[in-house]
Amino acid sequence: MKARTIKRFLIQAALTVFLLYPGIGFCGSHFLKIGLSDEPKTLNIWLASDRWSLRVLSQIYQPLFTRDPESMEMIPWLAAQDPVYDEASISYTVTLRESKWSDGSEITAEDVAFTGNIIRDLKIPRHFSKWDFIKKIEVVDKKTVRFYLEEPMAIFADRTLTTPIVCKKEWEKIYQEIKKTDKPLVALLNYNIEKPVGNGPFTVREWKKGAYLFLEKNKHFFGLGQTIEGRVLGPFIDGVIYKFFGTSDTAILSLKKGDIDMFWWAIQAGYLDDLKTDKNIQLHFNDRSAMYYMGFNLRKPPFNDVNFRRAVAILIDKGFIISRILQDQGVKMDSVVPPGNKFWYSKQAPDYGEGLTQDERIKRAFQVLKDSGYSWEVPPVDGSGKVVKGKGVRLPNGQPMGSFSILTPPSDYDPQRAMTGLIIQEWLRAMGIPASGKPMAFDALVDQVKVNRDFDAFILAYGQLSIDPDWIRNFFHSKNDKVRGENQAGYRNPDFDRISDQSARMIDKNARRKLICDMQAIIKKDLPYIPLYLPKMIEAVRTDRFAGWVDALEGIGSIWSFCMLKPIGK
Amino acid sequence: MDAQEKIIKKKRLKKPGRERRWKKNWAIYKKNILGRVGLALLSFFVLMALCSYIPPWIDPMYQPMSGVDPEISKSTGPSLRHWLGTDFMGRDLFSQLLAGARVAFMVGISSAFMSILLGTLVGMISGYMGKWVDTILMRLADIIMVMPTLLVVLILAALFGQLNIWSIVLIIALFRWPGVSRVIRAQTLSLRHRPFIESAKVSGASHMRIIFRHIMPNVLPLSFLYMTFRVTAAINIEAALAFLGFGDPGTVSWGMMLQWVWKTGHMFKAPYWLLPPGICISLITLSFYMLGRAMDEVLDPRLRKEGERY
Repeated sequence: MKARTIKRFLIQAALTVFLLYPGIGFCGSHFLKIGLSDEPKTLNIWLASDRWSLRVLSQIYQPLFTRDPESMEMIPWLAAQDPVYDEASISYTVTLRESKWSDGSEITAEDVAFTGNIIRDLKIPRHFSKWDFIKKIEVVDKKTVRFYLEEPMAIFADRTLTTPIVCKKEWEKIYQEIKKTDKPLVALLNYNIEKPVGNGPFTVREWKKGAYLFLEKNKHFFGLGQTIEGRVLGPFIDGVIYKFFGTSDTAILSLKKGDIDMFWWAIQAGYLDDLKTDKNIQLHFNDRSAMYYMGFNLRKPPFNDVNFRRAVAILIDKGFIISRILQDQGVKMDSVVPPGNKFWYSKQAPDYGEGLTQDERIKRAFQVLKDSGYSWEVPPVDGSGKVVKGKGVRLPNGQPMGSFSILTPPSDYDPQRAMTGLIIQEWLRAMGIPASGKPMAFDALVDQVKVNRDFDAFILAYGQLSIDPDWIRNFFHSKNDKVRGENQAGYRNPDFDRISDQSARMIDKNARRKLICDMQAIIKKDLPYIPLYLPKMIEAVRTDRFAGWVDALEGIGSIWSFCMLKPIGK
Repeated sequence: MDAQEKIIKKKRLKKPGRERRWKKNWAIYKKNILGRVGLALLSFFVLMALCSYIPPWIDPMYQPMSGVDPEISKSTGPSLRHWLGTDFMGRDLFSQLLAGARVAFMVGISSAFMSILLGTLVGMISGYMGKWVDTILMRLADIIMVMPTLLVVLILAALFGQLNIWSIVLIIALFRWPGVSRVIRAQTLSLRHRPFIESAKVSGASHMRIIFRHIMPNVLPLSFLYMTFRVTAAINIEAALAFLGFGDPGTVSWGMMLQWVWKTGHMFKAPYWLLPPGICISLITLSFYMLGRAMDEVLDPRLRKEGERY
């Protein structure tokens, strides 16, 4: 026991020295040092929902299938080959490749079945919607698992098979333990796990809270030395050390100094000129699969009035946001599907207010609201058609419009969204609409919107959206209008529900595309959310120690980079 | 002689005394170099605050919050069109700086005034009433005094989201009165036993009358002296809050300017954006401090140099 304590102390001391003095490293070892803007909240995969935890866990737990970084096609990862679909029994059969857990034990079909069953049994948030249509999971043999579906589901391969698989040996004990409690799901989510048994390229060596998180190479990783889709996998590095920075400034200074090799966070446009001049730093510009949007609480006036939402959409000059706030590092979004997602994206009509000047926008929004019965003490357009400062807007029922807040993340978290909220506030105020941008702590904001449902309007984003846009169904289906549900706006449209349910069952890709386009058109017409913009993912890395970062949708921090990154000269 | 004439006569009789006192105090103040510099600086910032209304009249692009130069969409250095340059969106920094002066005065003076009002009231009541009233009020003051204002405001902002500028003013006022109340209480304690208070009591004056009619005029100069120091503290707290991202996002203050320069990644490459608000915060707080020091000398004869005649 004593020897173990001394050993732990020595490792900690060595690591601290290593982290504090970049010039000193473990002899012959190649540790990648990554800066995160915050510390992961947990290593419990069922609880993790923050970006930092998910980023770390993405290197510890792996799914059956993943996406090729170039073609974005689904490719077998823990699976040996594509799933085999049997139409008669509505089932998919998946065969696993030879692979091991980080403790050396074999990954079997039992692990896959256990993962699916625990999600279905406990209805684990974040995962259950991808598994609720599975009727049965059958372990055919040690390496073969069969999923029986209640009905054909187009999203099975894209969503269900990309769920990370957990080790049955580790989690079954925990599962039995928590099943005895009154609230098993809460007990599972609160379960503290420090060194998870994983199947990814790295495994947890040590987490010193507030200081660093050290992942070491998993010598049992299935990809080690394998060639998948023409790519030779490692990992070729000995480990990853995460350091936590409160602000971008300190992280970028550390990057420039060489204290870290990568800052895993989107870089603000203001830093670019400076970073471009540093010969040891390389910038990566990648597209995102995301949606930055303004949402409304459709449960209360005036947001329950589609004409009010349309007037707001007309007033928002997305071109201004792109060129001024994003510094041209992004594109406009006129549908809930990102424009880069070419197969599924549908632009069926010009965007609200497209091509209008700010005065023209005010005039058009004024007309829309006036026609819907809104009135003003001082209308924003006077008798001669001149735009003036509007004042005292009243709802169609004659009541004065109450002031409302546009919640945004704080500028610490995302200055672009915070600033967008302020600018939209100014555009609305020009019409006499009493709006106020209100940045608030990100977690509190999510709670306010998702759990308490106590909000008026908000600006949030969905990141890392899957290529198959089934998430539109999740975001706007009336069955998800519940506490912690994804339909935060409270949007209810039976037509939309019907088409979206149909789209989820449609296996034919082209017919499904048609349905997805119809869904986009309905959302564009009803505007529960106003899609705003899609920023570029800009990341910065040092080039003097490691090479081989793989550019992909959502940036360079994919599993491919961590499996292919090599120390310079190796 | 009717009542009105009596009042007029009384006022006429009083006037020369007040004027004399004012002239005397002004003469003392004028001799103080700190006071002169402080007043000059303060006048400069008052001028800035007044001028803040002008730029948006010249062109909407000088609107400090929403106005942008149609031809500039990034941070640029000083030019004839933009005397201090533009921020990352192409907004005029000079207009923002002028608007910041207005906000600084608004926050500084209103929160200082509120805290002084509260502190004076509590101090007078506590000192005059004594006994359990004094104990309760002073323990309350002690409790609030040891609370770190900035930290409490940060926690409140984290809990309730961004606070608007008036909430910030109110919170600063609510946390900064105990110091004043302690000083005023001490002064009240010394006044309480003076003959004029005793005679007021004997004449049957109520507690309220004694506090507001006889004690207050004697402690007010001290309150105003402390107000200058409270203004400094209030401006600093607002700037710190805004810089840390907890200020009122709908207000263009100097702290907010610093936050924007920081968060948009221009901290080390746009001195024309970083330095002016920083310098202004330092100078305005310095000016109030200097004013306070000079007023201290006016109110406290012990601080004057020996042999000097006023």
